Amino acid sequence: MGAYTVARDDFTNARRSYIVLGVIGVFTALVGLIFAAEMNIYDDPYRVLWDVSALVAFVFPLVLAPLVYLSIAGDRISGRIKFSMGLPNSRLDYVTGKLWSRLGTAAAAVLLGVLVGFVIALATYATTPDPLRFLTFAGVTLMYTLTFVSVFLAISAATTSRARAMFGALGAYFVLVVFWFGFFPLVNLRTVLDAVGSLLGTELSETARGYLTMLSPGPAYLQSTELVYGGVLDQYDVFGQFEGDEPYDQSWFALLVMVGWTAVSLAVGYLAFDRSELG
Amino acid sequence: MPALQTTGLTRRFRDSGGFGPFGDRTESGDVLAVNDLDLTVETGEVFGFLGPNGAGKSTTINLLLGFIDPTSGSMDVLGHDPTSDSRALRSRLGLLPEGFDVYENLSAREHLRSAIETKGADDDPDEITDRVGLDPDDARRAAGGYSKGMTQRLALGIALVGDPDLLILDEPSSGLDPKGIKLLRTIVREEAERGATVFFSSHALDQVQKVCDRVGIMADGEMVAVDTIDDLREQLGTGAVVEATVDQVPDLSPVERLDGVREVSATDGSVRVTCDEPTAKMAALRRLDDAAAVRDIAIEDASLEALFEEYTSRTGDAPEAEPAVAAAGGDD
Repeated sequence: MGAYTVARDDFTNARRSYIVLGVIGVFTALVGLIFAAEMNIYDDPYRVLWDVSALVAFVFPLVLAPLVYLSIAGDRISGRIKFSMGLPNSRLDYVTGKLWSRLGTAAAAVLLGVLVGFVIALATYATTPDPLRFLTFAGVTLMYTLTFVSVFLAISAATTSRARAMFGALGAYFVLVVFWFGFFPLVNLRTVLDAVGSLLGTELSETARGYLTMLSPGPAYLQSTELVYGGVLDQYDVFGQFEGDEPYDQSWFALLVMVGWTAVSLAVGYLAFDRSELG
Repeated sequence: MPALQTTGLTRRFRDSGGFGPFGDRTESGDVLAVNDLDLTVETGEVFGFLGPNGAGKSTTINLLLGFIDPTSGSMDVLGHDPTSDSRALRSRLGLLPEGFDVYENLSAREHLRSAIETKGADDDPDEITDRVGLDPDDARRAAGGYSKGMTQRLALGIALVGDPDLLILDEPSSGLDPKGIKLLRTIVREEAERGATVFFSSHALDQVQKVCDRVGIMADGEMVAVDTIDDLREQLGTGAVVEATVDQVPDLSPVERLDGVREVSATDGSVRVTCDEPTAKMAALRRLDDAAAVRDIAIEDASLEALFEEYTSRTGDAPEAEPAVAAAGGDD
């Protein structure tokens, strides 16, 4: 029961500080605000979920970063790791415990946020919200959450200083979200792919671009929300982006991308920690 | 059967250019934190592991726990190889680590509860907090507000969980007040009586001499002496070194003949008299004063630091010819 005890200690410790309250509060407040702000714009609560998903894709990793980036690195800096690792815990127990604890907090934020959105929709929207759509939304959002918690945890497991853990987490956010979505007009995936194309002398094919664009958890998450809008994709123009028959346009591919990032991050993070020297 | 044995244990740290561990630097710039360490601690023994800061004590302990891997050499701790079997080893071991920190929002009781759970023990947290002298109210409040001494008591309590076969205490007296140090000694004795082996590291001889059966002295990554506390005390003497500045070094044989004087040496203008008996100091000074004009005197306690210096300089002068490492282990 090593991992459970590590998770319980870590979670109890965080619960009594403001970090858990902060993460849950910020996320719930944002979702609640979006639903409240759009009650007079849209009749259908699922349309609002799309706006929530955009917010989650861009902003939620920035809320998860401070929750996770010191989870292991911080213990090593302070010497707290000697409590858990002086006891008969394996390194896998320790990493698993930290993952469950931090993921638990993040998941609680997602579930509470979606619940608050549902209640506001139920009370104020013209159309009654569909619980199944909200549950599906919660599901894919939890997958996205797991992906970024894993990425940040891996960085924390592989670093031994606060500065490196912080730069690693912010770097991951900028590459996987800011760069991949193309928030900056010049430095983004598209311009880089163009540059690669001209270096190779041939333009990259549309299919190659399609796959590469979908390889980050950010775009993959937005793509995966297609599952939420079954049967209503023709109702709003914004859902037009879900059109496309290529494999990379499908939500199963998007989910696979997130599962892949999670698995690779956790494996790399665990291996780095397992090989690292404590003390 | 030894509780703990190392053979040729060596740990080299690559010098990253920044602040690194102390120790001898090799030609390549690496740091030899632990150098060819042969150490045996018998089951049931209380072993004092002494050395100045940076001698390699904590590196050795981290090696014994499997927290870090050796560059070469082998270890056997309670029949386990720490490099491959660290978890099984830690289930039979109680650790008071150096540089330990708490979950700031968990109480001492909660820390102990987790330790008991993880070790599969059936201890009562309240009994342990009582044993290490933590007030029941303190034991129930967040450990983030503890003083250094209270944190150290908690760490000791965690080490005691599950009646371990081997206790590894890394500088356990740091942060403890005299009362706490006395309690620590009592607990070490109780644990030894129970049959546990205690491996007790410290930079101060007076912390270990009252409880340890044997001590090993480490300096610059090497074990420079392993001996019983009585033999070591004999070498240390109970007296001190008198250093007198004289205008001219006289014939020193009258001083040497005095009872209680172990050694007399002279370098230009200064005479060093090492005394075993406190009373010999004044007698030696009188004889010196009879033979020469004494301009100044200084008295040094024969401290552990002096012994460290003695041992380390000895190894430095004749590294090959005179093996300073006394036979570790054996039948004592």
